[in-house]
Amino acid sequence: MGTISLEHSDRLYWLGRYTERFFTTIKALSKQFDKMIGTAHSYNDYLDCFGLPDTYMDNKDFIRSLLFDENNAHSAAYSLERAYDNGIVLREEISTDSLSFLQMAKDTLTKAGKIDNVRLALLPLEDIIYSFWGSINEHIFDDEIRNIIYIGKTLERLDLYIRMKYPFDIVEKEFVRLCKNLNRVPKGTPYRYSTKHLSVLVEILGSEEDYKREADRAVDSLGHLFETEEVFV
Amino acid sequence: MTQQTQFTKAVGNASEINELLRRYGVKFGIYKNGVFNEQFFPFDPIPRVISAEDFQSIEKGLVQRVNALNEFLFDIYHEKKIVRDGIIPEDFIYISKGYLAECEGITPKNKVYSHISGIDLVQAKDGEWYILEDNLRIPSGASYPLIARDLTRIAAPQAFEENPIIDNRGYAELLKETMEHVNCGGARAILTPGRYNAAYFEHSYLAEHTGSVLVQNDELFVEDNILYHRTYSGGKTRIGVLYRRIADEYLDPLTFLPESLIGIPNLMEAYRSGNVGIINAPGNGVADDKGIYYFVPKMIKYYLGEEPILKNAPTYLPFYEEDMKYVMEHLDTLVIKDVAEAGGYGVVFGSDLTKEKLEEFRKTIIAEPRRFIAQEVIDFLDLPILENGETVMRKADLRAFVLSGETTKVWASGLTRFSRNPDSFVVNSSQGGGFKDTWVLSR
Repeated sequence: MGTISLEHSDRLYWLGRYTERFFTTIKALSKQFDKMIGTAHSYNDYLDCFGLPDTYMDNKDFIRSLLFDENNAHSAAYSLERAYDNGIVLREEISTDSLSFLQMAKDTLTKAGKIDNVRLALLPLEDIIYSFWGSINEHIFDDEIRNIIYIGKTLERLDLYIRMKYPFDIVEKEFVRLCKNLNRVPKGTPYRYSTKHLSVLVEILGSEEDYKREADRAVDSLGHLFETEEVFV
Repeated sequence: MTQQTQFTKAVGNASEINELLRRYGVKFGIYKNGVFNEQFFPFDPIPRVISAEDFQSIEKGLVQRVNALNEFLFDIYHEKKIVRDGIIPEDFIYISKGYLAECEGITPKNKVYSHISGIDLVQAKDGEWYILEDNLRIPSGASYPLIARDLTRIAAPQAFEENPIIDNRGYAELLKETMEHVNCGGARAILTPGRYNAAYFEHSYLAEHTGSVLVQNDELFVEDNILYHRTYSGGKTRIGVLYRRIADEYLDPLTFLPESLIGIPNLMEAYRSGNVGIINAPGNGVADDKGIYYFVPKMIKYYLGEEPILKNAPTYLPFYEEDMKYVMEHLDTLVIKDVAEAGGYGVVFGSDLTKEKLEEFRKTIIAEPRRFIAQEVIDFLDLPILENGETVMRKADLRAFVLSGETTKVWASGLTRFSRNPDSFVVNSSQGGGFKDTWVLSR
């Protein structure tokens, strides 16, 4: 097709980010659910990762809100809705088939909300999102389009992994993945990285010690990665 | 057993296909009390079946009609011979909201005005097909039977093995050819008002399947009378043909409504200069005005020298004294249509009105005779639909799609819409109607 508007490039990026946010959230909550078995009110470690206050009555309230409450901006349901909102205006780029997986995820999440064994009900959602990414890979021929989605995906994953204090070797791999995607971005386009912030990330994520000490600064630099740099004459 | 009854059992169950349609996001938008909602378009798995013989006659009739309408549009925006020769009173041209003085003298590429025509037909109980209305501006609906056929073939492949059904899945290719026929050099684009438009699914689906760029107005600009798409890298791509899905009056704020926020400034200048094809041509509304509908059979004779193959529903124009007299005498049995309305709105069945309302309406017609047309209520053929596992009969119409490119072609399919209300003739999706597949048989 060869012509992408600014609006669509933005949508592609956020499609990648929200789909990944949904995916990582359901996986993290599934693990959290396991940790909470037999322990009352045991989800503060999860909330701390995101600096969120504890406004939940109990474990059940926490898990249901973070999974199914579309009005909770930190929930899986909220992220999926936003992914769908972005995807629906990208049909001709991502294909009806790819979009159908997001619709399927929405339907499956709604059904999961009505089932007692939440963890079991979430399993098909992981399958659906893997299929979505397979479909994206299959249907998008334009490398630039695919790369913008992947930048959103890898940046979101790295951001979440750092916040959730994932082990260094996993974070390092995701950073390498992000750098590969960033290198494919043509100059003069919105997803061309800021050298300054990329350098900060290289510095922090270059060693396990720095990662442990300066994770917050890494998250901050990720948030500014696409800022236009000032040019001094 | 009628042919329709014979096919009643031929396809799979409703829930399977509706589940698939849901999965593929086959929706339409609707505003209720100012709030936008997306709804799934209910699909009925019992197809409407059109025999090869019937289709042959419909096809000829539709090609004839659309060719005459295209001639009419050229004439109206140029010499207006049909007015001068007294075939159509000039009142019907200049009072029509669809007539745009700004289009005077413009000749679209290859003289095609209505590239995609949506012609609504009904079949009467005696088997005769009648034209209900012509839609020559931005007729929608082709994407629904297109995707439904794809999904029905998954849900019930045996139906397509056992029956000689013409494959309708070439619509996108047909549309692409039609777009290319008026491409003035550049990419193909479909202009949508955005996600919150009732037909957004269709816009995006057709963009995907024709390989066109789906655009909104703020992504487009005109420079030196050429239309461009602004790319994310700061560059520009020339657009050679624009299939716009927004109404004429919003297309270009410098030519039409200045308050339009969804138009493209100077688009009409680029079009007038022959640098971009616009599908359908601006100004087509004059030809699908409900008042002009009455004159289409006369147009066919005037421009083509042929007898109309397809009939109009018997129609009266209160504008004419004789017709006004008839309408006043038979108001309680006629259906009255407000020519300015569309989408099933502004349609009143005299039989539904109380005595007081009837009198009130009578006065409105006398006061504004040009605003209404009156038609005999055609006792149209009911079609079977499945409702809660039972087969029930409902009113249905057919929107046929006629594409005018190098030649005029009728898509061997169409959108069959039905009323879900047993007492209603109104089939529009915006008013709760559903749709079904339309099988055109090859033999």
